[in-house]
Amino acid sequence: MLLVFDRVTKFYGPVIGVNNISCRIGPGITGLFGANGAGKSTMMKLASGQLRPSQGEVRVGEDRAWSSAAKRNLGFSPDINSFYEEMTGREFVYVMARLCGHTRRDARRLTEIALEEVDMVDRGDRRIGGCSHGMRQRIKLAQALVNDPPVLLLDEPMTGIDPGGRRDIGRLLVRMAERGKTILVSSHILNEVESLTDSILMIAAGRIVASGTLSEVRNLLDDQPFTVEITTDRAREMAARLIGIPEVLSVELRGESLIVRTLSPGSFFGRCADLVLSEQFVVHRLQTLDTGADAVFGYLQQGSA
Amino acid sequence: MASATPTPAAATVAPQFGAGGVRLFRAWTTLLMLSFNRLFWSMNTLMVLFPLVGCALFLVWRRYDRWTFAEGSFRAFSEEFMIFLFTSFVVPVCALAYATTSVGGDREDRTLLFLLVRPVPRWLILLAKLLATLPLVLGLVLTSFWVYCRLAGPIGEKAFWIYLTPVFYMTLAYVSLFHLFAVTFRHSTIVALIYSLFMEFLLGNMPGLVKRIAVNFYGRSMMYDLGGAEGLRSPDPEWFVPVSAWGAGCSLLGISAGAIVLTLLIFSLREYRDLT
Repeated sequence: MLLVFDRVTKFYGPVIGVNNISCRIGPGITGLFGANGAGKSTMMKLASGQLRPSQGEVRVGEDRAWSSAAKRNLGFSPDINSFYEEMTGREFVYVMARLCGHTRRDARRLTEIALEEVDMVDRGDRRIGGCSHGMRQRIKLAQALVNDPPVLLLDEPMTGIDPGGRRDIGRLLVRMAERGKTILVSSHILNEVESLTDSILMIAAGRIVASGTLSEVRNLLDDQPFTVEITTDRAREMAARLIGIPEVLSVELRGESLIVRTLSPGSFFGRCADLVLSEQFVVHRLQTLDTGADAVFGYLQQGSA
Repeated sequence: MASATPTPAAATVAPQFGAGGVRLFRAWTTLLMLSFNRLFWSMNTLMVLFPLVGCALFLVWRRYDRWTFAEGSFRAFSEEFMIFLFTSFVVPVCALAYATTSVGGDREDRTLLFLLVRPVPRWLILLAKLLATLPLVLGLVLTSFWVYCRLAGPIGEKAFWIYLTPVFYMTLAYVSLFHLFAVTFRHSTIVALIYSLFMEFLLGNMPGLVKRIAVNFYGRSMMYDLGGAEGLRSPDPEWFVPVSAWGAGCSLLGISAGAIVLTLLIFSLREYRDLT
């Protein structure tokens, strides 16, 4: 099922939350990230039907996100830490299942399935008020999953969860994606999203500044230098030879490593390979430094500023 | 996967709400029961017991010639207790304790979000909240009213049947009005408290027509009219000209209906940006 933003603009009085956003989010995991105030939360609120667009339309399948019909197909894990504190985790998830219209028996069954998915079966009878932050995050996830919706919106789902828990939730989301669910995960921690998916929506100043896989996005930024680190035992000699390659902008010597910047990575790697072979350099390591999400996002933010 | 071009539809099939109405009804009744239970087992129940017990103690202290039908005791009971204390203070306090919390509590705790993302139309969410609150407040007000009347002896028993309708209508109007406050204002309990303890009092005692926007005015008008046969007299007509019991009753029902419609409308259309 598709989650569609069609030329969506949202104003908060005179302030613009998101500005003419269009995208179609299909099955699989899509990471949504941006800095605080970039418009992530507005997008999440629009998609979950908490807000109505000032212009344009947000649809979940065929239904407008604001409508109750859309919410049959939607599971939302919000970025808040509020619950019915007096309930146990199991009761809370059960009530949420009942609020989706399930019978008592079905709701109980779906609750157990959802708790099992988030590894909370054993701890489900604790009062939410006494649960750790990580457990509360899991309960939030469980209530989003309980109706088995085809579209999942997860706002900062990894916040406050320990590394083991993050791995478990990552696996869970991958499993869900494999079942054909459309999952939109927002985060301001880039590594989180990067570790979950290749498919990224980057948002800055209320606009989607890039979408696609990280490498695709990186390739779009051909006006930004591409940084490569090469570790070799003849670093000084190799630096002297590399600086003669026309595609190389600069070479920096750091011990046995070289930091090379180029605008044309494709032809640079070809020439570099030729040089290594002809001069018999022993290369211990060669890695690109700025294809990571942080670097890409940094470039994009500079561009949108 | 995010893309600029259409992506094939997912293989996943949305849960079918074939028996949509039944599912919706189940969801709605769940919300009704959830709201009722959360309100009933809240601190508010404990808090409203204080004024209720206070009133009972006042009645025991005041006596109102409890075991005789002394002349003027009905009027004294009506003016001092029913009009000044019970309908001006106890009824609005009981109504606001629950009516503002039913939506306002969820809003302040931000748990309203979990309801708004469920497949239940917003107006039905509000209706469930309203219908969970009404029996609770009516039950509390009418039960305490019955107890007070028993405490007041024979005049109380007579007063119970005379004033049952105005008390019922006033409770309904306050509950509806405070739901309107709850969906409109973020700190609705404070707004409702200021309204019921100050605005209602001020407006209800203003000369001229201004008092006609106060719930209290219509409640009092009904009581003066219905209690007239038992010796209750309305105050100086220079500043208080009551409307008939029938007119006042219609006005109270109109206020209730208007407030409910407006509340449903606002709640259906409003974006609650303070939830996340």
